[in-house]
Amino acid sequence: MIIYVLRRLVTMAVTLLVISMLIFVIIKLPPGDYLTNRLDELRSQGDPASAAKADMLRAQYGLDKPIWYQYATWVGIWPKPSGFSGLLQGDWGQSFEYDVPVSEVVGAALGMTLLINLATVIFIHVVAIPIAIYSATHRNSVGSHVITFLGYIGLATPSFLLALALLFYLNRWFGISIGGMMDPVYADQPMSMAKLGSVLSHLVVPVVVIGLAGTAGMIRRMRANLLDELNKQYTVTAKAKGLPPTRALLKYPFRIALNPFVADIGNILPHIVSGSVLVSLVLSLPTVGPILLQALKVQDQYLAGFILMFVAALTVVGMLIADLALAVLDPRIRLGQHG
Amino acid sequence: MSMLVRLGLSAAVGLCLLALPVRADGPKFIEPPSLAKDVAAGKLEPVAQRLPKTPLVSDMLDRKRTIGRYGGQLRMLAAKARDLRYVTVNGYTRLVTYDENLNLKPDVLEKFDNEGDRVFTFTLREGHRWSDGAPFTTEDFRYYWEDIANNRELSPSGPPDLFIAGGKLPKVEILDARHIRYSWDTPNPRFLPSLALPRPIFIYSPAHYLRKFHARYADPKQLAALVAKKKATSWAALHNKLEDPYEASNVDMPVLDPWYVVTKAPAQRFVFERNPYFHRVDPEGHQLPYIDRVVVDIASAGLFAAKANAGEVDLQARGLSMADVPVLKEGEAGHKYRTLLWPIARGSAFALYPNLTTNDPVWRKLLRDVRFRRALSLGIDRHTLNNALWFGLGIEGNDTVMPESALYQPDFRTAWADFDPERANAMLDDIGLAKRDLSGTRLLPDGRPLEILVEVAGDAADLIDALQITAEFWADIGVELVIKPQDASNLRQRSFAGETVMVASQGLDNALPTALMSPGELALTRQDNFAWPKWGQYFETGGRVGEAPDMPEAKQLMDLYDQWLTSSDLSAKAHAWTEMLRLHAENQWVIGTVAGSIQPVVVAEHLKNVPAKAVFSWEPTAMLGAYHIDEFYFDDQSDQSASQ
Repeated sequence: MIIYVLRRLVTMAVTLLVISMLIFVIIKLPPGDYLTNRLDELRSQGDPASAAKADMLRAQYGLDKPIWYQYATWVGIWPKPSGFSGLLQGDWGQSFEYDVPVSEVVGAALGMTLLINLATVIFIHVVAIPIAIYSATHRNSVGSHVITFLGYIGLATPSFLLALALLFYLNRWFGISIGGMMDPVYADQPMSMAKLGSVLSHLVVPVVVIGLAGTAGMIRRMRANLLDELNKQYTVTAKAKGLPPTRALLKYPFRIALNPFVADIGNILPHIVSGSVLVSLVLSLPTVGPILLQALKVQDQYLAGFILMFVAALTVVGMLIADLALAVLDPRIRLGQHG
Repeated sequence: MSMLVRLGLSAAVGLCLLALPVRADGPKFIEPPSLAKDVAAGKLEPVAQRLPKTPLVSDMLDRKRTIGRYGGQLRMLAAKARDLRYVTVNGYTRLVTYDENLNLKPDVLEKFDNEGDRVFTFTLREGHRWSDGAPFTTEDFRYYWEDIANNRELSPSGPPDLFIAGGKLPKVEILDARHIRYSWDTPNPRFLPSLALPRPIFIYSPAHYLRKFHARYADPKQLAALVAKKKATSWAALHNKLEDPYEASNVDMPVLDPWYVVTKAPAQRFVFERNPYFHRVDPEGHQLPYIDRVVVDIASAGLFAAKANAGEVDLQARGLSMADVPVLKEGEAGHKYRTLLWPIARGSAFALYPNLTTNDPVWRKLLRDVRFRRALSLGIDRHTLNNALWFGLGIEGNDTVMPESALYQPDFRTAWADFDPERANAMLDDIGLAKRDLSGTRLLPDGRPLEILVEVAGDAADLIDALQITAEFWADIGVELVIKPQDASNLRQRSFAGETVMVASQGLDNALPTALMSPGELALTRQDNFAWPKWGQYFETGGRVGEAPDMPEAKQLMDLYDQWLTSSDLSAKAHAWTEMLRLHAENQWVIGTVAGSIQPVVVAEHLKNVPAKAVFSWEPTAMLGAYHIDEFYFDDQSDQSASQ
């Protein structure tokens, strides 16, 4: 087992290294760099930005150096003028756009992102699991058909459209301010009950919107899994031996049906950070998603690079956790034993 | 300070709170109540001592504005932290500014002397101070000139281009703490107007603040420590980063604007506080601005209209477009705001740029034929475009200046701009494009179909709509229009490289010029003009890249521009302008269609002194800047705080 984990860790490190190279190359692929983009943007908005300063700034930002140098100093395997300082040393680099260290830009946003996406994950499970069980155990009943129908609608509705509609009506009916994570008045105030309430009320729209599609998908998968298990012999036997229906359901078939969801942990972890980009943009939530999009648009390379690396790292770690958890939960799965 | 004076002052402060004029010797100035506490506590001098000896007394009453009352916060929206610069633009505090009639007036300066556009003598206001209370003197101009503009490390390419006239830099003389003189051998008429731009050249910097970061003044050890602490690559990088009079990104940088930023990025809400040393007063002696605080919330641009509809802004123009008007109107009654509809001063809301310097030789020859460009112009039904896309509110015609401009002439708007497909067809036949293929599209001399690929920025939805309609009109004259939307920066790169045949964009930036403003936009001076990117390149790089202009009419533009540059006589300048505009109308270098589209401006109902009708433009009005946002006020503050 230990050897297995160690081997996995080594593979993870190599994977991340390869990913980091790919990320950097892809960020650098579009023509131009941060400064050309910025000057272009200023020009298109009527600012006659002087190109004269650009070269000097390019040197200051280090954008005049070859790409391998920029990459190697970012990762920290090559020294900057001030010495080794990169991802490996815990220095996430500088954001051009905000002109502050990446950690300062991402810090607050990460908290908000975690809050929203964790709430969404909980929402999905709390809503989807009971419904799935109900519709699996009550096949062909009216209730089951209604739920299935609603599930299809949930899958099919474009989330940004739903978000806009919800924003509008929640504002009309309850006076919740449009977009953002809290009422603007609280933005520069310290935490208080009123502020907390405002944050919670603003959580409703994103959580419902992001969660709805996920919920529908989860109901369908859970229901299908359960239906498979319900007709298997061990369930029939358990029932025949007089186990109460609820226990007979939850103790065996339900556990087996959960199996794919444990395997999903690997996906949930990065999703908690990078999910909901579109909805965050529409709702103007201060999460990582919009920051990443903006960073990619203007080629704020270290900021975009860090966020992508972070998500990649979470995916790799999530996969490991999922594999280990599966091994613990399901005795049929064996790790690291070749024959 | 003697006890008596102190008593007198606090009595004065008390009176100010009641907003009564103070009875005292000398001019009567009124303390903004939000500062009274600091004044009473001794943290701040009383208003009379904070203001310059001769503050700028606003001519509000002449402009039919009303005397306001203090207080409140102005809520605005921005899409990202960098858009905070629009607060600086709207605040519009410049050495000289345009007023609503586009006359150049001293603002920060007490007065300026202009001898034939060659010698400029500036007089500062006595006792004028930065927002941190430090004196604002000619030392700040000297610091900029010697230690920034002429410092090779901070400005490797030397002082900005506008300082160069006749190939030479000016002689800069500090006469005393309040007087400074810039003199050139040849006239430099661009100098003064460029100080009044929405994004001006700041020719002064707070020396007392910046010296700490300048290698010439700072202690090397301390400076090195600062550079390391801020993770800058050199002292010059640090200095450049901290010297920011425009983008409101440095909370420590003193300014002269009505409000200064107090929130550090990144944040979701940025707060600007009243500058206690602001140099303008209203006719009754109230120190401006009236409004205590400007609050800018960051929101995605797509939500601006919805947020305005929900009453979450007090003043917003940027980010709203004509398409938002129904949403904005719908919310007016319920959320207590007005939607003002201001015409946008642009030469044309939708204009086509045939690329005279395109690479394809066949196209180049054809596009350079003035008959071809005129025929294309005659083939567009501007009236239908106007009705379909601009509610019929626009002005149909060429890309030229607005009727409000003194340089406007009706025939510049109408020449070759009526809808006459028969004539257009005849002209195209004349050029030698009479052969058509089976679908009725004309054929180019080399046998290719006459398919004009019009490239356009993908996010400009209104331009794409207009192109689709134009394609129908041109089909009737045997010209096929193919639309290619793409990323804006990509489009610019293609244009610079000569790969575009035609580009759709907007017309003249400054459509409200006076003869004093530079006509450079009409000449071959910029490579980002889609009509002649290579000629612009040639000018911008001093002949190193691009192509020398080789069409007589185009060269004429440059001659006229030179005339404008070198003459100090107003009528000669006006003449140069008029001739350039005439050349543009006759040659159809830019095919304009409809001007004067609408900028919705959302204004809270209780926000006063906002003109009901005005022209919206970047240059020269600096968006809302020329309308003096510092004179806007809330007539009912309790209502505003209740609505939050």
